[in-house]
Amino acid sequence: MPMTSAGGAGSTTLTGPAPSKSGLSARDLLLRQDIILLGVFAVMVAFFTAMNSAFLTTFSIANILQDWAPVMLLAIGETYVIITAGIDLSVGSTLGLSGVVCAMTMRQMNSANDDPATTIAVGVLVALAVGALVGLINGMLITRAKLAPFVATLATLGAGAGFTLVLTDGVQIAGGPREVITLGNTTYLQVLTSPLIVVIAVLAVTWIVLARTRFGRWTYSIGSNQFAARGAGINVQWHLLKVYVLSGLLAGLAGAFVYFRLGSGSPTSGQGQELAAIAATVIGGTSLFGGSGRMAGTLLGALITTSVLSGLILIGVAPNWQQVVIGVLIAVAVGIQQINVGRMRRVARHV
Amino acid sequence: MWHAMSDAPVYEARNIKTSAGRDVGHAMSDVYEARHVNKSYGSVVALEDVDFQVRPGEIVGLVGDNGAGKSTLVKVLSGVHQPDSGELFLKGQSRTWRSPHDALEAGIETLYQDSGLCPDLTVEGNVFLGRERFKPGLLGRLGFLDNRAMSKVAQEELEKVGIGLAGVRRTVNQLSGGQRQAVAIGRAVAWARKVIVLDEPTNHLGARQSEEVLRVMRSARTRGLGVVFISHTLPHVLAVTDRIVVLRLGRVVADEPTSSFTPDSLLKAITGLLTSRPAGGESGRPRTDQSSS
Repeated sequence: MPMTSAGGAGSTTLTGPAPSKSGLSARDLLLRQDIILLGVFAVMVAFFTAMNSAFLTTFSIANILQDWAPVMLLAIGETYVIITAGIDLSVGSTLGLSGVVCAMTMRQMNSANDDPATTIAVGVLVALAVGALVGLINGMLITRAKLAPFVATLATLGAGAGFTLVLTDGVQIAGGPREVITLGNTTYLQVLTSPLIVVIAVLAVTWIVLARTRFGRWTYSIGSNQFAARGAGINVQWHLLKVYVLSGLLAGLAGAFVYFRLGSGSPTSGQGQELAAIAATVIGGTSLFGGSGRMAGTLLGALITTSVLSGLILIGVAPNWQQVVIGVLIAVAVGIQQINVGRMRRVARHV
Repeated sequence: MWHAMSDAPVYEARNIKTSAGRDVGHAMSDVYEARHVNKSYGSVVALEDVDFQVRPGEIVGLVGDNGAGKSTLVKVLSGVHQPDSGELFLKGQSRTWRSPHDALEAGIETLYQDSGLCPDLTVEGNVFLGRERFKPGLLGRLGFLDNRAMSKVAQEELEKVGIGLAGVRRTVNQLSGGQRQAVAIGRAVAWARKVIVLDEPTNHLGARQSEEVLRVMRSARTRGLGVVFISHTLPHVLAVTDRIVVLRLGRVVADEPTSSFTPDSLLKAITGLLTSRPAGGESGRPRTDQSSS
């Protein structure tokens, strides 16, 4: 068997700059986006706490988590979508639309004196259904009508926001069962609410699915090289459709979350949230070119962008600076990605 | 064993053990053949009455100038295009590929120019792309991947075709061009059960890397696969093939054992300076003259 000699003189040995056993050198580890972000987050928390000890109190943490949860839900969907080399601009307006439809459903059922538990369950399901429907429309526009994801979701962003205003005349929808407020504000361990626990569970599941299952692997492969994915027998269009439905579904859940937090459906609650989600995802190290990204990064990106707001308020800086800080973070995060990409190319050349 | 395996092509394709355990002899009927294939794109005739065959354990070189029809023939063989007329035979049976997936399931792997791999996935991920293995039990049913098993098999399979890897868990974008090509070919050879079609696999590669690719092809031949090697690099073709098919303007102008070509005669066959078989159009006119007189 002369062909099988791995590492022998005649065989193609792909040794290269020999990686350590784990495949990662200390330098690789230091340049990994999620490790850097963890450091940034730790420094940020330390800084804000040093400036104002109120930052690290349960009250403040509970507040930050309430801000974080809807952005996180949108950013999870965005992470999947961007890894496929797509983009979903519609998630913010989907959040608003599903929150409002959820509120109207509950108001209707409540005024008909339906059982509160049933009302809440139906309301949440309706929010999810609205989100999934918008996701399905996005997916169909992209995979059947062959629109670019940017264009398709820009269309649903506008249509969704407009439809929300038509439904509500621009006013808040209150009148749900009292239990909504109770459910949204009862805390465990001083910081967690039931909706928040749901969000954390969803994060855990979607994280594992992305990192460990075939669904996740195919998501990466499509963003990395759609042609190769198709050549390997993957039904690329079908998979993309599922990813956009997932993104819409999570936006629907975020709509329900915001409704539980406020106790009413606000037609403008989702405005600009797609950008917050994309920012969290990109800061988290997901490449807009597709193929790479991790849920850990997105989690840290969302934590950083949402806690900056509370932190700035607590240390007495005008909250408008939040946008500036996030802008800087995006620039730095993408800069680090470029450094890593460049390094990889150099490694490949030297091998 | 061979017949039992090919009765269940779907499952067979997902079971790499099958490919690993195969070193049984092949009947001569186990041949992949195109007969009288015609293919036009609009008014452009890309292939005209082309006969082509590749036998198990044989490397066939497919050469021709740009526009000679090589790529079209590759696409017909791999199921990307359906021929306008003519038939494909595998093991003597007439076959029709509705999609590249059909051809894959029948055991025909194709490696296109510069397109085979996902650079962000690991080597292991690429080798198993679309054929992932799941963990045993409930986790597997939920879609959890068995990365350890896939890494192990990927490493073994690549070593079998002569590609020793320091880490199949590394992503492909960390590999050089030659290494990527080696992985792409290794992947195709590992999965192919009958035929492997390589479209310009030595393009953009240095001399040493090209040599490795040729070696992998020889090892595929040793495993009993039929290999179709498309290339512009005539020294490679002369070095590795058993037979050479020359296409010119959509027609087969030569189909001879490699030993009967010299570099010079091969070049002449490609460019048309040597007409071993005159094209049909040229013999048409004298006949008309005769009939009119």
